[in-house]
Amino acid sequence: MSESPVTTETAGAEAPAPLGPWARMRRRSLRHGSVLFGGFLLLAFVAIALTAPLLAPHDPYAQDLTKRLIDPVWSAKGSWAHPLGTDQLGRDYLSRMLYGSRVSLIIGLVAMTISGLIGTAMGVAAGYFGGRVDHVVNFVVTTRLSMPVILVALAVVAIAGSSLVVVVLVLGFLLWDRFAVVMRSATRQVRDLEYVTAAEALGMSVWRIVLSEILPNVLGALIVIATLEMAHAILLEAALSFLGLGVQPPTPSWGLMVSEGRKVMFFKSWLITIPGAALFLLVLAINLLGDGLRDVMAPEGRG
Amino acid sequence: MLGFLVKRLALALLVAVTVSVVGFVLLRASGDIAVAIAGEGATETDIQAVRQQYGFDRPLPVQYVEWLGKTLSGDLGRSVYFNVPVAQLIAERLPVTLLLGALSLVFALALSIPLGVVAALRPNSLLDHAALWLAVFGQAMPSFWFALLLILVLGVWGRLLPISGTGSLLNYVMPAIALGYYATPAIMRLTRAGMVEVLGSDYIRTARAKGLRTGKVLFKHALRNAVIPVVSLAAVQFGFMLSGSIVIESIFALPGVGQLAWISLQRSDFTVVQGIVLMLSVIYILLALLADLFNAWLDPRIRVA
Amino acid sequence: MSKELRTYRRLPLLALSGVMLLGATALSPAPAHAGKADDTLTFALEQEVEAVNFYQSTSRDGVILSRLIWDTLIYRDPESGAYEPGLATSWKWVDATTIDFDLRQGVTFQNGEPFDADDVVFTLSYFPSPEAKVKSRESVAWIDHAEKLGQYKVRLFLKAPFPAALEFLASPLPIYPKDYYQKVGAEGMEAAPVGTGPYKVTKIVKGESITFERNPNYYKDSPKGEPQIGHIVMRTIPDKNTQLAELMTGGVDWIWKVDKDQAESLRAMPQLTVKDAETMRIGYLTFDAAGKAGPSPLTNVKVRQAIAHAINRQSIVDNLFAGGARVVDTACFPEQFGCDQTVKHYDYDPALAKKLLAEAGYPDGFEIQLNGYRNRDLAEAMVGDLAKVGIKATLNYGKYAAIRDMIRSGKSKMAFMTWGSNSIGDVSASTSVFFTGGADDTYGDAEVKAELDKGDTSTDPAVRKEAYSKALHRIADQAYWLPLWSYPYTYAYTSDLNFTPTSDEIPHFAQASWK
Repeated sequence: MSESPVTTETAGAEAPAPLGPWARMRRRSLRHGSVLFGGFLLLAFVAIALTAPLLAPHDPYAQDLTKRLIDPVWSAKGSWAHPLGTDQLGRDYLSRMLYGSRVSLIIGLVAMTISGLIGTAMGVAAGYFGGRVDHVVNFVVTTRLSMPVILVALAVVAIAGSSLVVVVLVLGFLLWDRFAVVMRSATRQVRDLEYVTAAEALGMSVWRIVLSEILPNVLGALIVIATLEMAHAILLEAALSFLGLGVQPPTPSWGLMVSEGRKVMFFKSWLITIPGAALFLLVLAINLLGDGLRDVMAPEGRG
Repeated sequence: MLGFLVKRLALALLVAVTVSVVGFVLLRASGDIAVAIAGEGATETDIQAVRQQYGFDRPLPVQYVEWLGKTLSGDLGRSVYFNVPVAQLIAERLPVTLLLGALSLVFALALSIPLGVVAALRPNSLLDHAALWLAVFGQAMPSFWFALLLILVLGVWGRLLPISGTGSLLNYVMPAIALGYYATPAIMRLTRAGMVEVLGSDYIRTARAKGLRTGKVLFKHALRNAVIPVVSLAAVQFGFMLSGSIVIESIFALPGVGQLAWISLQRSDFTVVQGIVLMLSVIYILLALLADLFNAWLDPRIRVA
Repeated sequence: MSKELRTYRRLPLLALSGVMLLGATALSPAPAHAGKADDTLTFALEQEVEAVNFYQSTSRDGVILSRLIWDTLIYRDPESGAYEPGLATSWKWVDATTIDFDLRQGVTFQNGEPFDADDVVFTLSYFPSPEAKVKSRESVAWIDHAEKLGQYKVRLFLKAPFPAALEFLASPLPIYPKDYYQKVGAEGMEAAPVGTGPYKVTKIVKGESITFERNPNYYKDSPKGEPQIGHIVMRTIPDKNTQLAELMTGGVDWIWKVDKDQAESLRAMPQLTVKDAETMRIGYLTFDAAGKAGPSPLTNVKVRQAIAHAINRQSIVDNLFAGGARVVDTACFPEQFGCDQTVKHYDYDPALAKKLLAEAGYPDGFEIQLNGYRNRDLAEAMVGDLAKVGIKATLNYGKYAAIRDMIRSGKSKMAFMTWGSNSIGDVSASTSVFFTGGADDTYGDAEVKAELDKGDTSTDPAVRKEAYSKALHRIADQAYWLPLWSYPYTYAYTSDLNFTPTSDEIPHFAQASWK
């Protein structure tokens, strides 16, 4: 549901800083709490996702209808056999939480990659060629922005049938607008720099110029947008799954777990607070990292 | 200015038409509408009759052109579920959604502008950091989850607020918070950035040097200038909120267009979904257009771009 | 700077007080509190009815409202199933296609218009005509026309012999006021419905609520009894969870289709009553036995039987239903006429399931898509059971129309569906819908079709029973369906309320009262 606030603010603030020496950046980011915190948290999530089979005490899909809705360990009736209790089908909640991180991260990463490729291609093309290409890209971006994302995503998923692949593709094809906007302005600024004009004069092909001269210079802005869009994709997947048109059961998706748990949220509230909090923390981590990186790479602190 | 206006209008129009085509194709592609209209227990003959009655048996482009022509004359078709004009359905429910959107925006502005100003006055202070954290937190909160937590804590445990429906303005408090907080970070940052910039500008320094009282400087000059970009951002955010209302309205049982869209999608009432997609898009396009014109009016440099 | 800060510290405070002021002004028109105290029964439904005007609606919720606003010629007691006099005091079959009715005298519509033969003739002649564009054609399609024999005497002509005529007259055929309807038309009836029923509509808020008031002039001898509660409010709350929150906080008084786990917690709350009542709805898995969706393991009867043995229906019924559900083995609801219960029963036996799979050539199972539209948790439980014998089923959930369309057009290999028989207590409303060559018949079994046709057309109960029995046995042996369970509804309502759930899936609010 969370619409991307594509704003003049994001567009303007992400203006690419000429890439400073890596050493200086590293020193800065070390000093920068949010990069550290966000990075650490994200790393933790990635580590959990990678090692989920080792960490999970049970098979996340193994249901046992005689062990339904067991309370978590901190409540009077809980036990360490199921530290976070079990869900409506008697599946171990901790194991499902651990595996759920994979769904969120995979969807976030893949959707971000797809949208990144589309948006960057459009943005760089618009910024580099300008003129008509710019007009067309501007038109496509405006069209995309004016469509209500959730409604369109829901409609497409309803048509194509909901599965992990469909959801990833839909999100990937819907969330490229910010990439395009930022990449366009970033490319425009770099385009007129001396070495690019020099490369052109040397007769380098457009592709080579874009790949070797322009992309490395807009990389900073790209990374920042990538983190924001990854967070955005994760939230949207959760929302779609919550509405029943995202990832399908029995795949453990945190959004789906909130949706399934809410039936009994007034009596067993941990069923929605835990997966919701996990989503919140993951998105928070990614946003903090992105924010921090933006500040680190911007010339004069955050602004 | 006139050239800019014409160009901008043409773009808006072209976008609107494109959105209408995309919406039409997307929604028509999703399953057999006739089966949905005929309902549970319908026979093949019933379905065939429905198909003919609604003209679903003709080619898509023909259906589109006919639909577009009608749309331009204000006829959005009939809901296959309610069997009343879509325009009427939307008109009945739009006030709820607009009110929700407005209240959400008020909430977002009331929270974010003061925070942004305070943060700008003391950059890197504790307050500044707190404001930033609040913003980051807000952005990371899944709004469906936030809505459920509000119902749980304020509605069921605390019994402080009514949970659903539109009985009174109090009914809008939880939905407006759940919908509005997401816009807070962006507006806050923009306010802060604007304030920092304006405070550092020559004329504010001059004003201060001339001995004007700081409070007056801040309100009369700094805030006013800093808030200008916020206005256009708020316009755009309002557009986003309308489409974000789909989940929120369903959870809080607010009979607005968002809930109507979601339920209509579930029961394959495509004329309604189509009408709402188009309406939301047009509202967004208009808001964006207004924001652009507003900016152009304020800042002559844009007009030539 | 400190002075500035003070000013700006006040800003959020200012904003906050503004918001609070807004809230305070909003406090004044406090919503009417539901419940016994102000004699208002508020009930919540998930869906908004497509039309209050009954003939423009097909939803079950429309039936609930119609029972409040209108009356029918005949009344069917939801508990005994017996037909009792409604607006008609007596009726007589003249021949197989003609029925005579004597009408009740002294009944008036809510607008004061007196009720007589003209209204009945109008209702039963106009709505069956194509120009009325009735949404549920099957409700009226069997009627030819009606004739006035006297001010309180009417003759109804059927197009063909129709054994279910009384059943239909008792339900989807409310009697409309002729003069009023002819004056205001369908739109007027929608905006301000008028009937003879126990409650009249006083206010409609689109998408949100419909308010009813007791009809003080309701006729005394109605089989529905005298209405007891002063006001009834129907609220549309699409999210079941929100309904529950409202029930717990007293915002609404009555909800239904409560989930098992919710029911368990609600039972512990003294201010609420929780009751289960069985309905005619059954759940079933339908298999693409004829291979219409392309070759699949399911064309092999052993595989279908293996699935039947692999799913622990009893455990699902015991653990996932709130109460009142039972395992069903027939492709019909056990209490329907002709629904022979001696058919093959498939025990939960995963070992046997594995053996059957191995015999069919799938010792390691296979992958399959399970389509469905409701009760995702039940579907998930079945997927879990299938996994235990090596069948990897993935869920594909969609809207009812889309999934039914998939099945009809031969795109579904396996689907989890339900069927409520439109609350008609006869196998012709269940099994026959799916196995007699119609759009829903994807099995194409001539033997089953022949027997069902025999049962549907015969008037001899013994012949019908025997024919249906043969068909049901073959369906079970071939495992075209795996019938799963009956669907009880669980109701939760304020303990102040006297309310009796019935098996017809229609809550009868006109008969409810306060304790």
